[in-house]
Amino acid sequence: MSSLAAPPQVLDVSNTPPVPFGRLVKVEWRKMLDTRAGLWLLIISAGLLALISGIVLLVVALADVTPPTANDWLNIMTIPVSMLVPVMAITIVTQEWSQRTAMVTFALEASRLRVVLAKLVAVMALGAATIALAAVLGLVGNVVGAALAGTDADWNVTVGAFGWALATQVLYLLMGFGFGLLLLSSPAALALYYVYVWILEGGVILPGIMYVLYFTMDWAQAVLPWISMRLSMLPFQLSDDDVRSIESDIGATLDTGVLGLARVITSVLIWVGIPLLLGTWRLLRAEVK
Amino acid sequence: MITVDRLTVSYGAFTAVDDVSFVAQPGRVTGFLGPNGAGKSTTMRVMVGLTPASRGQVTIGGLLYRDIPNPGRHVGVLLDAGAQHAGRTGREILAIGAETMGLPRTRVDEMLALVGLTDAEAKRRLRNYSLGMKQRLGIAHALLGDPSVLILDEPANGLDPAGIRWMRGLLKGYADRGGTVLLSSHLLHEVEQIADEMILIGHGRIVAQGDKQSLLANAGGADVTLVTSLDNAGLGSALTAAGHVVEAAGSGLKVTASTEQVGRVALAAGVVLTDLRSGGAGLEDLFLELTSSTQRDAFPNGVPA
Repeated sequence: MSSLAAPPQVLDVSNTPPVPFGRLVKVEWRKMLDTRAGLWLLIISAGLLALISGIVLLVVALADVTPPTANDWLNIMTIPVSMLVPVMAITIVTQEWSQRTAMVTFALEASRLRVVLAKLVAVMALGAATIALAAVLGLVGNVVGAALAGTDADWNVTVGAFGWALATQVLYLLMGFGFGLLLLSSPAALALYYVYVWILEGGVILPGIMYVLYFTMDWAQAVLPWISMRLSMLPFQLSDDDVRSIESDIGATLDTGVLGLARVITSVLIWVGIPLLLGTWRLLRAEVK
Repeated sequence: MITVDRLTVSYGAFTAVDDVSFVAQPGRVTGFLGPNGAGKSTTMRVMVGLTPASRGQVTIGGLLYRDIPNPGRHVGVLLDAGAQHAGRTGREILAIGAETMGLPRTRVDEMLALVGLTDAEAKRRLRNYSLGMKQRLGIAHALLGDPSVLILDEPANGLDPAGIRWMRGLLKGYADRGGTVLLSSHLLHEVEQIADEMILIGHGRIVAQGDKQSLLANAGGADVTLVTSLDNAGLGSALTAAGHVVEAAGSGLKVTASTEQVGRVALAAGVVLTDLRSGGAGLEDLFLELTSSTQRDAFPNGVPA
């Protein structure tokens, strides 16, 4: 504020550029790491990834088992990643509401859409770093595991399989972000995410409700691939041998053509697209107190 | 300059802010006064774009808040000192603000010094702050971008008397340098001494506005004087004889007349006065009266001001 004889009635904003988007991203990145809660989430994430690969290697070293192949490592490492990265995506949104910092954030950048996009970019970067760490640990694990067992490392992961696994993790991140925007509450969004991923979909170790229904109920085979992201993507991820054995089990073909893609798109829209859209719409209109 | 133009905010059937218009001028401190729940905070949230207006609008220096680029550089906002992450240190909270606005790190130290937060205090996390420290931090945050307009919701809340005096000086100096200051309070005496202009709001409506003198003048009603003398009985009958209404009040008399009239009657009657003062409605009475329909607690007549 400058000393003026006659105070101006109009704000002179001609020399004030808007806040650059890159700066918003930097600020959001900083806000993820500058609290104990944020720091612990990172430490736990890195620790959990290291712990899981350590346990697998320990089992290989102590028990006389065949070491996991690259594909096994991929399946193992996606579990912690799918537990952790969406939590980051949820909390980057919901924390602004639980700690009520949204009042300050939106007072400094009035365009809420820019803030949402900056948050998304920042949490995507953190998610990418986590996934990269998991990939490196899996890679090293595969080499070390084979060395411990005295065998050659088995690099049986195709680019396609890795791509689909990566896409799934990114979709889970976006899903968490969407749930956060839609519910604006950490516990609610976390609960919804975990119910979907662990109870409805299930993982490699424990199949979820939709997965079980798909293999046991006829109606489920027709309906669930349109709803479950895991089931819609399954035909694209499996090896040809697995596809044939499942097809003979359920007596139907796993479609990887237009129908298969339509199922992927529909299930992704249900769980990722719609929550993101509705959530953004809610945030843009919400009253901030 | 802040211009509130026929602003209405409704939540279903409930109208929180009802057709409110006023202007906060640059170079002046404008006090926004009203009991709890009168609509002060809602009005201030609309100013900053956090609450949508049902009707009407607020402009700051002729612009809607969302049209102000890098708004922190033009408008300093403190709506709730507690609305910060409890796990961040005071310094970090200011550093985030400074980074968003594109300010150098030195600005954080300047603001900490200005509001009297020590280095050790700035390193503590917000959850360990007293309300007064949070307010100081919030004021520092509002001042970070060297704005020309300040919007402060209950900034004196939680400050000790020395802190309130400090804030008064700070805001006064700020307005004297040409800044626009709007601050709300539910406590009259916090605002009375610094506000050049006062907006009184109750039940979402503006019930009075103006400077202190004009508010008191408009309060209207007959003059009331409180008088004590060495001969109250004699003075009382002299006043009654002069046509004034007299009643006993404590150790003296309450007279429906100006202090000058009472003084002249006493002079003529030869009664020695020991106390003579205006007993008219003070600002506090006026405030309570104007907002009484929304007051949560009923005040019996004759409550000492």
